[in-house]
Amino acid sequence: MAQKTAAQLDETELIRAAQSGDRAAFEQLVRSYDQSVLRLAMNLLRSPEDAQDVYQEAFLRVYKNLDKFRFDCSFHTWLYRIVTNLCLDHLRKRKVRREEPTVLTTAEGPIDRMDNVTEERVDGDPQRFLFSGELRKRVKETLAEFTPRERMVFELRHYQGLRLRRIGEILGTTEEAAKNCLFRATQKMRAALGDFV
Amino acid sequence: MSDMNCQSAKELLPLYLYGELSFDDEETIESHLDGCAACRTALERQRQVHASLDNLAVEPSPALLRACRDELHVRLAHESGAQGAGWWERFTHMLTGPAWMRPAGALTMIAIGFAAARLIPPGAFTGSGALEMGMVEPSSRVRDVQPSGDGKVRIVLDETRQKEVSGALDNEKIRVLLISAAKDPSDPGLRAESVEILNASAQFSEVRDALLAALKDQNAGVRLKAMSGLKSFAQQPEVRTAMTQVLLADVNPEMRSQAIDLLTKGMENPVDRFDRQVIGAMQELMQRENNAYVRQRCKTALEAVKASTETY
Repeated sequence: MAQKTAAQLDETELIRAAQSGDRAAFEQLVRSYDQSVLRLAMNLLRSPEDAQDVYQEAFLRVYKNLDKFRFDCSFHTWLYRIVTNLCLDHLRKRKVRREEPTVLTTAEGPIDRMDNVTEERVDGDPQRFLFSGELRKRVKETLAEFTPRERMVFELRHYQGLRLRRIGEILGTTEEAAKNCLFRATQKMRAALGDFV
Repeated sequence: MSDMNCQSAKELLPLYLYGELSFDDEETIESHLDGCAACRTALERQRQVHASLDNLAVEPSPALLRACRDELHVRLAHESGAQGAGWWERFTHMLTGPAWMRPAGALTMIAIGFAAARLIPPGAFTGSGALEMGMVEPSSRVRDVQPSGDGKVRIVLDETRQKEVSGALDNEKIRVLLISAAKDPSDPGLRAESVEILNASAQFSEVRDALLAALKDQNAGVRLKAMSGLKSFAQQPEVRTAMTQVLLADVNPEMRSQAIDLLTKGMENPVDRFDRQVIGAMQELMQRENNAYVRQRCKTALEAVKASTETY
């Protein structure tokens, strides 16, 4: 058969094939991005169930609206606009809560994100270990104090490694506004860790 | 000493570490840091904060990713159902898809069997070459359908049959199956589990080859497990080459960090054994690494072998 398989198509071809109704091409496209989408949702929402909801809703929206994608931005940016909007909705709904737990419920059991800060990172020095333990506690409290937008910008910059210019595009704002948001978040962190930094 | 005061400098340190300051601001802060020991200490502390934050990142489990993909597959089939997706596809997916759908699939199958027994006249499937409904495998996939002109239809099915085998890892056939499973593109959970089992038999060269291939898996969980299996073979040239590639190309900071550990592991005489390729790769990493913790590990490793942390 002369026709290419989905695996052989590049992204533009995959998008065009998916736009013409090729579901295998669409699922191939999903697999290029779904791990980072799930990671973003999981880190922001700290619940596998909510992350799974965002994953489903995001890719179904993409599927239903793919014919409206005109290649005037990258597919990554377009997809992340959808995902970040869904995550922000979740975060705003939760804002009524005074404090979010840092314990994640995962398939492997509960995980406290803060427990991943290991002793190895402080070289076994007792004084530095105390520093690390207290630091962990303060960081935990401060992350919970971020507004949803600060949290989103912080997550996209720190954990997803996106540049502020791209973050601005995704969130429908300017690079400068994204920078201000990141600055506010880091100032909150700095104020909370005043005697450390 | 620049005209920037310590308060302003400290406020900008996080953005400085993210590389998000303008050229002028970066110049000013670097000039200030050159002459201010207190702010240099603050910068180091800020790096520690970044490193601590890095460790809070959570990688979704392969099982969760698989569950998401399975559910999406079903929902997409349902979405496109109105536009022509076949009932058979949806039905077979009920039997082979997520566990929560399987009871529904089984009930549907019983219902079909019951209806078929009542509606289909005896002997309808007894012609030459015809299939009896009971022989159809639940995982069958319809490959082709053609009307045969006499009111019947000719259906070509792809069938897969399950078979269970068991054996120890010193059995070559078991290893071949596991290596094949470690490459299954459709199932990251299966790949991760297979790689983890294979790690116990990395003394076999074909297993090491599979683990080296798994270092390029699209799933970070699979890559991390493969990395773990190769730790004892860090001195082998092909492993060192693969680790160097991980160092420069892997998107996951934990992978890069482990590659540094593995490449520098057990060095009794660093200058002799730390080859130029690795030093070059680590110096290159220093130029491009965004992750503060990985940068620090890389810097420490280079300093340990008295290599420059910069390229010229």
